[in-house]
Amino acid sequence: TTHVLLPLQNSSSFFSRAYFYSSCWFFPSICGLSLCPLVVFFITVLTTLPGTELRLPDTQIRFVKSALWYHGYGRPELYRLPSDGSAGSRELLLAFSWLLHRISLLEQLLARNRVRTGDETSVCMCEDDLSQSEKGTTEIAPEYGPEDRVDVRYLQWLSGRLRFQWRSLHAQHQEQCKLLHKIHLLTTGCHVDQILGHFSVTEMDLIRQPENYKQLVQLLELETMQLEAFLEWKQREPVYWQWMVMTQMNFKGCSLLKSNKENLPCSLFFPPPPSIQVKTRAEDLQKEDFAATVRKIQEAVELKLLDLSNLCAPKKNKMHGLCRLVRSVSKEPAPAVSATEVIRELQMREASLQRELKQLREECRQRLDEIAEGLDGVICISP
Amino acid sequence: MLPAGCGRRLAAALAAALGGGAERRRELEQRAARSRALLRRTAGLCSVCPPRRDSQDDEEPKPEASSGDGHESRPSPKELEELELLNRALEKALKVRKSISKTSLEAQVAPAEKPADEGPAFENAQEQQVPVSVRDVPVTREVRAGSKKPASLKKPSPYQLRAPYRTDPDVKKPQRRAPARCVSQGPRTAGKSSSKGVASKQGRSHRPANSASDQGVCAATELQRAPGSSKSALKEQQSFSIRDSSGERNLVAAGRQLTDAGKKSCGSRGESGRKENPTAEGISGGSTSPQTVTVQQQGCQLKLPHPYRKAYSRNCRAWEKSRLCQTSADAAAARKRFTERIQTTFEFCSPTPALSPAEIEEELKVLQDVPSLLSQYVEAEPADHPTLQREYESLVTLEGLQTTVSQCLHKLQLLQAAVESQMRLHPDCAGDVGNCCPTCVPARGRACGSAGTLAVPLLWYSSFQELRDLFALKLQVSVLHQEIALQKLTMTELLPVLESKAYPEASAAQLYRAIYTQLCEGGERFPVLVRDELAD
Repeated sequence: TTHVLLPLQNSSSFFSRAYFYSSCWFFPSICGLSLCPLVVFFITVLTTLPGTELRLPDTQIRFVKSALWYHGYGRPELYRLPSDGSAGSRELLLAFSWLLHRISLLEQLLARNRVRTGDETSVCMCEDDLSQSEKGTTEIAPEYGPEDRVDVRYLQWLSGRLRFQWRSLHAQHQEQCKLLHKIHLLTTGCHVDQILGHFSVTEMDLIRQPENYKQLVQLLELETMQLEAFLEWKQREPVYWQWMVMTQMNFKGCSLLKSNKENLPCSLFFPPPPSIQVKTRAEDLQKEDFAATVRKIQEAVELKLLDLSNLCAPKKNKMHGLCRLVRSVSKEPAPAVSATEVIRELQMREASLQRELKQLREECRQRLDEIAEGLDGVICISP
Repeated sequence: MLPAGCGRRLAAALAAALGGGAERRRELEQRAARSRALLRRTAGLCSVCPPRRDSQDDEEPKPEASSGDGHESRPSPKELEELELLNRALEKALKVRKSISKTSLEAQVAPAEKPADEGPAFENAQEQQVPVSVRDVPVTREVRAGSKKPASLKKPSPYQLRAPYRTDPDVKKPQRRAPARCVSQGPRTAGKSSSKGVASKQGRSHRPANSASDQGVCAATELQRAPGSSKSALKEQQSFSIRDSSGERNLVAAGRQLTDAGKKSCGSRGESGRKENPTAEGISGGSTSPQTVTVQQQGCQLKLPHPYRKAYSRNCRAWEKSRLCQTSADAAAARKRFTERIQTTFEFCSPTPALSPAEIEEELKVLQDVPSLLSQYVEAEPADHPTLQREYESLVTLEGLQTTVSQCLHKLQLLQAAVESQMRLHPDCAGDVGNCCPTCVPARGRACGSAGTLAVPLLWYSSFQELRDLFALKLQVSVLHQEIALQKLTMTELLPVLESKAYPEASAAQLYRAIYTQLCEGGERFPVLVRDELAD
């Protein structure tokens, strides 16, 4: 029997089932992320009364297994759990706890579901990558039957429209910038929050039409409650972990494999920027200040390649997700991502993508040149 | 025509991209409309300037939105008509060219350089063209494809789309003038008590002008009167308005040329009313009419409603507390113990995959941009060096690059090995991952650090230009992603058609050129196909 024991008697304890159900901890309507089903799942499992059978859809279990595999969970017992979720709540509890620690699950959820009151913009292009990779694989049902044939001019027309659309989007974005900037300028000095300094579009609209934003106020209050619940959890945290260790860790015959899974092989990290070996040639030693010159050159090159070594070094604190746009001329608001940084990264990414596109086109050119030789009676002169 | 079954996926992908783009445009338009309404109403509070923006702003998006946004994946009848007209024009032009080329070989007028580049029409004309020797074909002729949509002819920039509306304010001007006593406030540049005449001209001439000055119009004056603003902010605003005043003076000059007779009256009024006040640092409180309430005063008086403010500050405090909340030592110790113990039970066959899929992805993301940067560096090194020192520097640089390259390659090999062993462990999990795992969650919880995770996420910018660059770059990266995806799809779908010669012989040239354009030139330039016949 593998049902979860909840040893804490205190009725107001975080882990009492009543609290689970009544707490708005994981309020589904706010959570837009795919991690949330994971948490909902765990809670469902953990709060199931012992003895009742959990009938969970197969997809949920598979989802959980995938998520855990993705983050490096290695307990085989979990992966052997039956797909209907009828057994294994202990394994799930172990996995849940591990995930809690491993990816700071709760903090991540809170951060990602933050109520948006400002002009939020994303500072990374991760979702873009994801959607692009999916796009290639999804096939949308074409509008015409299997006998119809596609005219290449139709494709050209569509792609021309797409190019036009890109340009219109650019224009729209630029206008958005203009408007945002205006509003930020206009409302400088008005916000209660000194760090922000000015209103966002949402807030300005809120001032005009407060009745439209009742839900926003509610969401803020809800979030405050969640944060308070989080703080309470932090208080009870020692108890939880101690309990986990004591009661849940009586593994039968646990194989004591190498215990340093936490450390990555050092070779995977880049060592500090390569110290450039000075290769001296015997005949050059004649020059007196050669060594000094060499050192200067060495330093200059290190500086030159600084961008590269920064790129390759593992980035510890890369910001992801949405950030609120704030205009700040005089000082840098304490922990914040600067537009300059983001712009630099984007420029590098753009250069990278341009290069990739150019290579693809070059490849096409070569292939098409070959094809051209096979065409009778036509000479192709490229632009 | 392509053989049956070909190109459908590509058509679907293009249609999907168009649909997605149309949605984005709608969203953006909604947000823009909201912002514009806000600015208008804020300005309108004191019956100040840009009321005339009203109608224009309402009208403006429509031409943009309606053209090229629709979900139709077939050209509309109007577009077909325009296409027909363009085709006819093209045929005429080609006839002219043919006749000219018959008379003199070198006088190659380029009538075909119209943006009309409809493939079929051009080709028809070309095939009619009887032996033109290779030498004569102007290889440099670029038929600019532009956009396929005829509507794009008016494209250049959306701000110029407002140009036609330049005339509208003239129409509306008369009735606006009366109530707009204090219109002088808004568009006025620093310290000038000019009349609405200037305002109107500035408004009109603003339309095609730089957006920077455009925004300055409404904000500059108001900003000057910021009662509690800090010195630095004030200076910034001053310089802002100085810039705009000069810009506007130019614009007014330009506008003057552009106005027609009817505006002479307001022009003269503008001239008389406009006092040249070059010292634009006027907090010229006195010069403005007392009944105008500036937007800035209004702006500073703007206060968030009380319930929101309360909720907001409580929320802020809660975040701050959460951020500062430390994990207690007991908890941390117990957590560590738990994690260590559980990880001893993890199965990892040798070679030990120490990297989780999430970490592998992280590392790959880091490496993503390295090749392009490396090639930039390599290309920057000149082949020739004037001095020994330069040569040495070059050598050292290249050696450093080489070290980096080998490190990256080594890392890639390790990552590949890690991927393979992970896939071997749980092959079924790999397929599901795409749907379930957000890519933005860092693999190592400590990478963000709990302090960092719960901090207020802010993106700060310091200048308008930065903001514009940011948005432009983001869009550009997004567009490039799309282009690359479509390029790959097109390659897999269309190149085999050509390579296998599975098309009707007659349309070989047409097909070839279409595909060449699409794949090698991004649809913007066409190769010239010449029939390989010797002139008799």
